[in-house]
Amino acid sequence: MNRVVRRRPFSTLLLVLLLALFGWGWHERVALWAFPDIISAYTAKEYCSCRYVMNNAAEYCHGYVKQWLPTSGFTDDPASKRVTVSSMGRSNSASWVGEHQGCRLNP
Amino acid sequence: MSKGLSLFFLFLLSVTAHAEYWPAEQWSTAPAISGPALQTLETYAFPPRDDATRKGIRTDALLVIRDGQLIYERYAGPTTAQTPHLTWSISKSLMATVLGVAYGEGLFKLQDPALKFYPPLQKHPAITMADLLHWASGLDWQEAYEYAPLKSSVVAMLYTRGHQDMADFTAGHKEYAQPGQAFRYSSGDSNLLAAALKNIVGPARYADYPWTALFEPLGIRKAVWEADATGTFVASSYAYLTARDLARIGWLMARDGRWRDRQLLPKDWVAFNREPFAHYRAHQDDTVPGGQWWLNRAADGAPRPWPDAPDDTFAALGHWGQAMYVIPSEHLVIVRYGDDRDDSYQHNELLKLALKAFAGKVQP
Repeated sequence: MNRVVRRRPFSTLLLVLLLALFGWGWHERVALWAFPDIISAYTAKEYCSCRYVMNNAAEYCHGYVKQWLPTSGFTDDPASKRVTVSSMGRSNSASWVGEHQGCRLNP
Repeated sequence: MSKGLSLFFLFLLSVTAHAEYWPAEQWSTAPAISGPALQTLETYAFPPRDDATRKGIRTDALLVIRDGQLIYERYAGPTTAQTPHLTWSISKSLMATVLGVAYGEGLFKLQDPALKFYPPLQKHPAITMADLLHWASGLDWQEAYEYAPLKSSVVAMLYTRGHQDMADFTAGHKEYAQPGQAFRYSSGDSNLLAAALKNIVGPARYADYPWTALFEPLGIRKAVWEADATGTFVASSYAYLTARDLARIGWLMARDGRWRDRQLLPKDWVAFNREPFAHYRAHQDDTVPGGQWWLNRAADGAPRPWPDAPDDTFAALGHWGQAMYVIPSEHLVIVRYGDDRDDSYQHNELLKLALKAFAGKVQP
C-alpha cells in the first residue's frame, strides 16, 4: 500500500477524492436529486402569485422572479392561470386555485 | 352652574377624551403630517428605485396608524393601496393570531402535545403547542434561504421535496435538542402549527377559519392564504394582505386582542405572544422571539435589538423587508412592505425616523 502511494501519489489522491465525492453524493442523494427543480418550481410558483394574487403586470413579475440561473422555457396561460417553467432539465408548473387560496405548485 | 351640570360636562369631556377610533370599511384619516422629520423618513424609505440591479432599499408600501387612525401612507413600485402584498414570514404571526381565536374558543391549551392534533408527529411526542410557537421544537431544521440551497429545509419544503405536504416534511426531521429547550428559527415549526389547527377547529371549519375567525371580524376583505396540496395553510410564508388590512391585525394586537368591544384574542394569549422565550440565548437571532412574534426586549444579557424604539415594540417580520411594527406605548402601528434583495434596510433606522415623525403627539 505504502509503495503504491509513493509510486503514484497523484493518482492515489485523486482516487481518495473521488471516493469522498461519491460518498458525499450518496449521503446527499435525496437533496441532490431534488436540487435541479428549485429554479423552475420557484419561478413558476412566485410568478403565478405575483401575477394572479398580487395582480402585478406581467413585465414586472418577470423581473421579480429573476434568479442567478436562467430559465429555458416559460409559458403563462392566462385563461387557465397556469404557469410552466423549465430550467436545469426540469419542468414545474403552478396554477391559480381560487380567491382565498391563491396559487399552488402542481404535483 | 349647578354642581350636577358641571359633573355632566366633566362626564362629557371624559367620554370625548376616551373616544376610540376603529376602522370601519376604511380607516378614518387623521390630519396629514408634514415637515422635515417626515422628509427625512421618506428620503430613507423611498430612495430612487433601482429595478435593474435590485440594489438598495426598495420600499413597496409604508403606512402608519396612530390612535386608530390612518396618519400616513405611501406606495411605490407596482404596489398600491389595493395590492394584497406577499407578507412572507409575517404569515407566522398571522397564524399565531388565528390560533389565538381558537385558543379563546377553549379548543387547545399551550401545554397540549402537538401530537394530539397532528398524528404524524408520533416520533416527537414531547413537542407542545408552546414549543412550536417559540420555534423550539428541537427539530433539526435548516432555515437558510438563497445561500445554501442544497441544505436549506425551507427551500426544499416550499419548492421541491416538501411542497405537497409541508407539515409532514417537517415532522420527518430528526431532533437535535429536547423540545422546548432551545430556540432555532424554523418555518417548519410554523407549518406544524397550521397542520395542528386543522384538527383543533375540525376539518369542516378549517378551510374558512382564518377568514371567519380573524379576517371578517376585523373587516379584512382581500386576504389570500395559499395552502399546500393537503389544504394546510402555508403559515410560514404565503399570506397576502393589503398594507391597510395588515395594519388592522397590528391595531388588534396594540389593543391587547380587543376589537371594538369584543375581546377577540384572550389577553393571556397576547401576553404569551409578547413574552420572550425563556431559553433564547443572546444573538441567536437579530430580534428576540416571543410566541411567533418578534420582541424588542433585552434578553440574556444582550441589549434590546432596536435601541431607538421603545422596549414594548414588537413586530411581525418577513423575507425581503416585510415588517409590521406595533408600539402600544406610542399608539402606533407601522406597516412596511418591500422588495429588498440586499441588507440595506435597517429596522432600527426606519423606527427611529418614524418615531421622530409620528410619535409623542398622542392626544390625551
